[in-house]
Amino acid sequence: MNGGIFITGARLIDPATGRETQGDLRVERGVIDAIGPGLSPDADDQIIEADGAVLSPALIDIGARASEPGRSGIENLDTTIRAAAAAGVGTLVLSSSSGAGLTRPEDIDWISFRALQAPIRLLGAARTHTPIGEMAEIGLMLRAGAPLISDGGELIADTRFLRNLLSYASAFDAWVGLTPEDASLSAGTIAHESAMAIRLGLSARPGISERLGVERLAALAELTGARIIAERLTTAGGLEALSTARKRGLELAASTPLAHLVFNEVDMGGLDPAYRLEPPLRSEADRQALLAGIADGRIDIIVSDHTPVALEAKANPYPDTAPGSASLEALIPVLCTLDADGQLPLMASLKALTSNPAELLGLPQGRLTEGAPADLVLFDPQSPNVYGKDGLESPAPSAFAGRRLQGRVLMTVADGAIVFARPGVAE
Amino acid sequence: MGQGDYSYTFPHRGLIAASALNRVDLELIFDSARAHLARNRREDKKHPSLKGLTVINLFFEASTRTLASFEIAAKRLGADVVNFSAGNASLKKGETLADTAYTLAAMQPDLLVVRHHSPGAAGFFQSTTGVSTINAGDGANEHPTQALLDLFTLGEHLGDVGGKRIAIIGDILHSRVARSNVALLSLMNADIRLCGPASLLPADADRWGASVFHSVEAAIEGCDAVMVLRLQRERMSAGLIPSAREYAAIYGLDHTRLSLANEGCIVMHPGPMNRGIEITSALADDKSISVILDQVEAGVAVRMAVLELLAGRGMQEMVP
Repeated sequence: MNGGIFITGARLIDPATGRETQGDLRVERGVIDAIGPGLSPDADDQIIEADGAVLSPALIDIGARASEPGRSGIENLDTTIRAAAAAGVGTLVLSSSSGAGLTRPEDIDWISFRALQAPIRLLGAARTHTPIGEMAEIGLMLRAGAPLISDGGELIADTRFLRNLLSYASAFDAWVGLTPEDASLSAGTIAHESAMAIRLGLSARPGISERLGVERLAALAELTGARIIAERLTTAGGLEALSTARKRGLELAASTPLAHLVFNEVDMGGLDPAYRLEPPLRSEADRQALLAGIADGRIDIIVSDHTPVALEAKANPYPDTAPGSASLEALIPVLCTLDADGQLPLMASLKALTSNPAELLGLPQGRLTEGAPADLVLFDPQSPNVYGKDGLESPAPSAFAGRRLQGRVLMTVADGAIVFARPGVAE
Repeated sequence: MGQGDYSYTFPHRGLIAASALNRVDLELIFDSARAHLARNRREDKKHPSLKGLTVINLFFEASTRTLASFEIAAKRLGADVVNFSAGNASLKKGETLADTAYTLAAMQPDLLVVRHHSPGAAGFFQSTTGVSTINAGDGANEHPTQALLDLFTLGEHLGDVGGKRIAIIGDILHSRVARSNVALLSLMNADIRLCGPASLLPADADRWGASVFHSVEAAIEGCDAVMVLRLQRERMSAGLIPSAREYAAIYGLDHTRLSLANEGCIVMHPGPMNRGIEITSALADDKSISVILDQVEAGVAVRMAVLELLAGRGMQEMVP
């Protein structure tokens, strides 16, 4: 194919500028060539009729786990990549806890090697520490192309070690993603402490565990000058602590998992292992606070927190199951549903999945402007569906399975090429 | 030239901290060291100015080169030398340091040379016993004779150190060598740069009168000398830095990085070196750049000068 891609009649949303218009967009040689109403295609352009569907920058997910490297699971890396492409993700930053962990520069090189064949942009976060708790070779991993450093959800309890790590990392000017929890309050717990969790007899952690975690990270950011992302922030108290610390001028950011924007502890009340997540599902007040935090920008990033867990790992009572949900393909349907229900405007939620992560990591993607990389997602925000009914790329158990959602991805473009298209969309 | 020619008497009872020295002190020490350096190259090296005096080398921390350097210095000056080192049972019997000090002082030594893992230990010996004491390294605090021999070597190669740009690269946080060097180099108005992993730099290093760098390339630019510090293996197991491999790749000194320095830039290392980690073998062995063995040679001469001055027998009949 020599020509470009011409998408006509789309609802163009650019979260970076907050602009929303009706019009056309033309892609050529991997970049957005032109945007506007009334454009005309070149003779050999492939023409896509958007029919009023939304066209936005492709999603940037900086928190999805894969089963590889070093392990095999229910998904292999190719499955994860296919699921991401089908989810409208153009840039996938694998969590540092993917597989056996991205702890050595060789692991980041392996990601770069696999990225050569991947249709979408594939990166890997550098793990903060090795399996035996020593500082990982973060400098070499950043040089190998890791866009950030992260504990991958494995809380670093030793504050002296964390101080050294943050101090060391500060010289590289990289963001460090850390789990905001108090180690001893959270250890061994599987639920959010509430009347319900106590009645169910679950070992639960109080919400203040996260608040203490955020305050600890803020104090260390102040001491070391490091830039910290409080990863997978899920409580109102944690968010409040973060906002307070930010007012002191500290370089702090936060990400929130998709599931916690939709579900609360009541969903977990039936003790269905599908809802066993880490961090656990919180109260409705917490969920409301997270939605408000994304709407007003206090939470920077939404992550899929995609965690493929083997079927057998969910085949036990709730407390004995592995936490995690396959969530990549729920991204767009959840954003559309929250928008349609008046819970969270699409512009704000897309921002947390496009321009915000791009800006944070210094990536050129995530913008709908002429000259920007042609990473796009076209989606129908209205079409109702039951999650998983029409099949998904990821075979792993999902907390969203069977949920009535609305909105589905029609087409994903990465680096100027169509990497996913629903039947009938780009033929 | 005798001490009288300076119309200044070396006023120090001991040498506990480089930061206590002034520029005239340095001139006295270096003039004498220069003469000793020349004599040390002759067949007959004896210069018995300390004849009849007893020097005790008291090393609570393992050392080969510094102990040997002090021992040779004292012996060439004709002193009687006794060594106690970490392996000696007598230093491990659990008595207080004060009792050790009183006991040794009772044997009427004239000079003590003390190395100890605790900052302040050398000063403690001197104030407890009243015996002139040379600090041969007290924890991460000071190692004044190392800084003196470094400054002497710098002077031999660069002339006046004032205004010269000198980078110290490595584990500044735990380095007594860096602290003593910064003291003397500031006194000489050198343009000092400190560089290392942020976890191995003191939080207040920018207030040491030096500029602080996290990038070796940036730190080396325009330098006239680079001092490379030894990376202790314990720093990895203590979780301060990731690995020797990463340290070598990001902070190690090699010819390529050194090409950013000024023409004629010299490279120094207090030893013992970790070849392939903080410095490449090729660079350490490059005689046109590396002055590491010059430092070792200067060490003996400088220590001879210090011993003489503290014994009040300096500058008698310098070069016959």
